[in-house]
Amino acid sequence: MDGACLELAGKAVTTEQAEGEFERSLIRRAQRGDRAAFDALVRRYDREVLRMALRIVQSPEEAQDLYQEAFLKVYRSIGRFRLEAKFSTWLYRVVMNVCLDHLRRQKARNEASMPEGDDGGSDGVHSIPEDRPVLNPERALQAREIGSRLQAALGRLSPRERLVFEMKHYQGMKLREIGEMCGTSEEAAKNSLFRALQKLRTDLHDLV
Amino acid sequence: MKCTEFEQLSLLYIYDELASGERADFEAHLGVCATCRAGLEKVQRLHRALQECPEPAPDLLARCRLMLDDALDREQLGWRAMLRAWFGSPGPLRASRAAALAALVVTGFVLGWTLRPRASSLQPVTSAAPASSFDLGNDRIRNISQVAQDPHSGGVRITLDAERRITMEGSLDDPRIREVLVNAVKSYDNPGIRRDTLDVLRAKPEDPSIREALMFALHDGNPGVRLAALNTVNHMECWHDTHEALLKVVEKDPNVGVRTTAIDALVEHLEEEGADEAVMTALEKLASADPNPYVRMRCLAALRKLQGSR
Repeated sequence: MDGACLELAGKAVTTEQAEGEFERSLIRRAQRGDRAAFDALVRRYDREVLRMALRIVQSPEEAQDLYQEAFLKVYRSIGRFRLEAKFSTWLYRVVMNVCLDHLRRQKARNEASMPEGDDGGSDGVHSIPEDRPVLNPERALQAREIGSRLQAALGRLSPRERLVFEMKHYQGMKLREIGEMCGTSEEAAKNSLFRALQKLRTDLHDLV
Repeated sequence: MKCTEFEQLSLLYIYDELASGERADFEAHLGVCATCRAGLEKVQRLHRALQECPEPAPDLLARCRLMLDDALDREQLGWRAMLRAWFGSPGPLRASRAAALAALVVTGFVLGWTLRPRASSLQPVTSAAPASSFDLGNDRIRNISQVAQDPHSGGVRITLDAERRITMEGSLDDPRIREVLVNAVKSYDNPGIRRDTLDVLRAKPEDPSIREALMFALHDGNPGVRLAALNTVNHMECWHDTHEALLKVVEKDPNVGVRTTAIDALVEHLEEEGADEAVMTALEKLASADPNPYVRMRCLAALRKLQGSR
């Protein structure tokens, strides 16, 4: 289907363009207060948002709170979103900021004063059932073991390392940008990333 | 570039963080150093493996969605409550606020009004309720198809479509709940919802309409939905047609993951209930002739297990 061409109002457009136009129409409607349009936008991205939150905080309860906080922020500020920008990038930045604020609050409350690599937040690992069917079970056959091992390995990173890894590996942000968001330097972000990857490589060495 | 710098540089290379000059040096070094090339391949394999991540549990996602729904309703309600309070003020103040709001609505839609083909005359109002008594309540605006102003009265008429969100609560014993869920499995276009619905229906598999929906879902277009149906069928008490349904999935499903799950389900059933020659014959045929090697291997393993338990 990718790259398929459609005729839309007499103009040849690709499937991606049609998808993009549909999303922009949802955003415009949501900006005018159309709740159904906002709900449709949420459904397009919420699974990934929840995955992100779970990877970072490792606790389903906390991930649930961050999910809600992120989408409420998006709902309140969607009027300021510029249509020329990419919605998913903007959304994921909001999620990252929410996660970052959460980790800062935790640190300030002294709940995150844990030794490197052990954050005690391993609940997320056990409460993510390993045998839930995904929408592509053939791929899930191979991915099941890797996914659960990865989740366990992520649980052994510090919260900062998990956040930096999430921003770099899954969100593709630049190290300089990550440093700015976290209030540190690019060098510090790079070191967090290296430490995270070293630990992950140690935990997953037999899978690669 | 030296090999000792390789580890850090390879990670930066994979993540596209090297400046163009550094990147060129790194790639030039790879061209002449087999050890670093092998090391980079390992890093790339790790990078690919790290793309995998477990899916959030459907019940967690469902909870998140429900909570967000409530939170957004409260956000909206706050706004509506304010609006009602605004109109709740007495006498001339209310009239002037109503006029101000009407003027805002007209201003906001004046572009749409000028671009639309003008009606030759205003249609008489056909709705039973007078226009001034509208109440959006829980309805949400989907589409506004017309805005018109009466030149005599100065009033504004807006024609819109509204949808109402309904929340149904109850148990599977309620036939209305069952009807909605069975329809969702059969015809709702979102595979995630169809899958989640099957998880709910699994609690009452003995109901004929639910059983029919489960059998229907075994042929769903989405492999995840078919797998959810299979897992439900697998845990149910065996009907006369369960073996036949599972075997059909083993033989014909286009997805290997679904087929192997069906093989496991058949083995479980037969271990409990005893041999079914038709199933054994079919598994033998698949073990020798199925085009997929993994399916052949799993059928062979299933046969060994079943023959061992006889």
